[in-house]
Amino acid sequence: MAKKTTGRKFRLKTGDIIFNVLNYLVFGIFTLACIFPFYYLFINTISDNEMVARGVISVIPRGIHFDNYLAMFKVGDLIRAFGVTVGRTVLGTMLMVGASGFVGYLVTKQEMWARKFWYRFMVVTMYFNAGLIPWFLNMQMLGLTNTFWAYIIPGIVAPYNIVLVKTYIESIPRELEESAQMDGASHLTVFWRIIWPLSKPILATVAIFGAVGHWNSFTDSLILMQSASNLYTLQHRLYMYLNQSTNLEAVMKSGGQMGEAAMAAVLSGKVIKYTVSMVTVIPILIVYPFMQRYFEEGIMLGAVKG
Amino acid sequence: MDSRKTVRMAISDKMYYVLRIAVLVLALFLFFPGLNPAKVSGIINRNLSLFTTGISYGDLANGFGRAIGRGWITEGSLRLLQISSVIVCLGIAACVAGACMSLGNIRMKKAGNLALTAGNLVGFLGLGGIYLAYQKMLQSSNPDRIQPIFPNGFWVVCGLFVCILAVTVVQAALLKGQAAEKKFEIASKYRLFLMFLPFIVLIALFAYLPLWGWRYAFFNYEVGDTLTMDSFVGLKWFQELVRNPATVRDILRVLRNTLAMSGIGLATSWLPMLFAIFLNEVKNLRFRRVVQTFTTIPNFISWVLVYGVAFSVFSTEGFVSSMLVNMGIWEQGQNLLMSGEYTWLKMWAWGTWKGIGWSAIIYIAGISGIDAQLYDAAMVDGAGRFQRMWHITLPGLLPTFCVLLLMSVGNILSNGMDQYLVFENATNTDAITVLDLYVYKLGIGGGRIPLTTVVSMLKSIVGVALLLVTNNVAKLTRDGESIV
Repeated sequence: MAKKTTGRKFRLKTGDIIFNVLNYLVFGIFTLACIFPFYYLFINTISDNEMVARGVISVIPRGIHFDNYLAMFKVGDLIRAFGVTVGRTVLGTMLMVGASGFVGYLVTKQEMWARKFWYRFMVVTMYFNAGLIPWFLNMQMLGLTNTFWAYIIPGIVAPYNIVLVKTYIESIPRELEESAQMDGASHLTVFWRIIWPLSKPILATVAIFGAVGHWNSFTDSLILMQSASNLYTLQHRLYMYLNQSTNLEAVMKSGGQMGEAAMAAVLSGKVIKYTVSMVTVIPILIVYPFMQRYFEEGIMLGAVKG
Repeated sequence: MDSRKTVRMAISDKMYYVLRIAVLVLALFLFFPGLNPAKVSGIINRNLSLFTTGISYGDLANGFGRAIGRGWITEGSLRLLQISSVIVCLGIAACVAGACMSLGNIRMKKAGNLALTAGNLVGFLGLGGIYLAYQKMLQSSNPDRIQPIFPNGFWVVCGLFVCILAVTVVQAALLKGQAAEKKFEIASKYRLFLMFLPFIVLIALFAYLPLWGWRYAFFNYEVGDTLTMDSFVGLKWFQELVRNPATVRDILRVLRNTLAMSGIGLATSWLPMLFAIFLNEVKNLRFRRVVQTFTTIPNFISWVLVYGVAFSVFSTEGFVSSMLVNMGIWEQGQNLLMSGEYTWLKMWAWGTWKGIGWSAIIYIAGISGIDAQLYDAAMVDGAGRFQRMWHITLPGLLPTFCVLLLMSVGNILSNGMDQYLVFENATNTDAITVLDLYVYKLGIGGGRIPLTTVVSMLKSIVGVALLLVTNNVAKLTRDGESIV
């Protein structure tokens, strides 16, 4: 950080004070705007449901209970969606990180047959894709629609991550590798014993981004799992829950008649929606502060490349 | 004697190219449904490739429920078909292994020949099984419904196997007199390539093979149809895009939305830089840290969740409505999300809420890279706070800003569909439908595959063109440094 210690010697002028107050105020308000909705969601899921329905819970939680979260365990669809999402996040991220590390290492090897060509063959795909519909038709043709593997296999090779890893590996001193090869180590041994341990920082960054991507994925579930609702991801379920009520509200707005049961569904629907939102966001909120360093490294690495 | 040996090796090397190409084509057969040699009945889904036929009995039997129930065909025949497909797959796999081994030394090549021969025999065995299954289809008590077809792919696969077998036999003869080494070995360059090969296959399958889907742009196609040359319509769908008034109106509206929202984004793309510059003026490090942490979190939640957040704040029973109703300002809650006004600006605001903290990080890092002496010197010269921002910080960040701006120009047509899909409702659909969302709704939702393929195709081509243009602009302005 560029610190300007010289500024401290002077007395603060009135203009500076006003500037600082305004500056802190604006950032304070914006930060609040970023974090308050999550807090608001949270207190509404743990407060007394009747009060929540009346809309009186806005800052302080009242009548704290965790029944809503416990109730979520009874919703089969949700548990399954949670399982699918955790499964794809763990498996997909592991395979992607493994592949990124290995391929990142392979493409640094100058002696590979037609290396330049294959490297470009891979990199070009970052800037070009056939489009949504051809992609969908392709997945259908490969028989991956309505299967769990549609979440995993296409994501194994992630060119952008491979380029990041490759750049990182190139910064590892060649001598390490050469001395190992002198001792008769094969490519695989060199990779496993030297390159993999040394590139752990970048692999961690790649893993974090991969995991967040998998956790947040929604469109692939929406498009590819049209007749396999047991494979919907958590985000897809959340989308459905959120949408359901929009329809109900549209009915209300248009002045249509609604039974009391339907009304009750709307009311409790609100709590359900809030709770599912919380379940979906909590992992990110928990992981984020610990991993912030890796996230920030990630964007910087991308910038160096760009 | 020696020279004859070298000549023989040279011939052998050349012939291996033929073999490898044949094996490559054979391997493609695994994944192209159109070439599936196991499609012996009209009931079998035409989207099944040989590979899927082998691994998924469920997909194969899908549609045969009635046929088996009525006794037109036995389940055993289908099982036979499936197992035969697996066997053919295994044979092809052995051939692939053999072809890979042909890149090695003589010892390796000899072993590779064995693998190829074995692969051939297994392959023929599997093909025999498929032929048997075809015979069963023919003998069905209700051939009209079973629709036995003899697949063209069958003969092609057969031909390829024969071709591979022939080359293998010749190779075995050529290699016979050659002294084999003690060890199996493949030259380092080929070994590295072979390790890369599985990933190349994945890239080809998921990034290049979709281009094959572009052919749908030239056919009349309804979901469930078979693509035959009869339905070839040339450029009909391209013309539809410019001639059919309804389509033209839709496309223009969608393009307007896309460009407007991208345009607003571009016009305000300096905001993250401003964010970083002013955050840099916050001298309390703890406060700065808190701001940075909390403002970056929204970037890592999905658009669905952003909508969940929006719902909790702006819906009829959300935070804003509850507050205003409780304070007596509103008579009753209103759903602010349902209004169709200022859609573009609202979408921009959500985008900014989600992304600004994250986009600012790169500029914050940029500021810390600016030489502190510049600031000291400026202060000695009496430059005020804003002068320092304007004359030192801003110029320091401009190169980064320009690169990012150019990259977003390249992406002007792709603003993604997640955000617009989740925020879409009956009142704002006219203003919110961007190109990606339009393609999704019309193609996946409406089943209008050819037209949307045309749009996808054009979008991809325009995207690449824009990228090349901006890249060249970047090269001109940045002394030959490109952005991609």
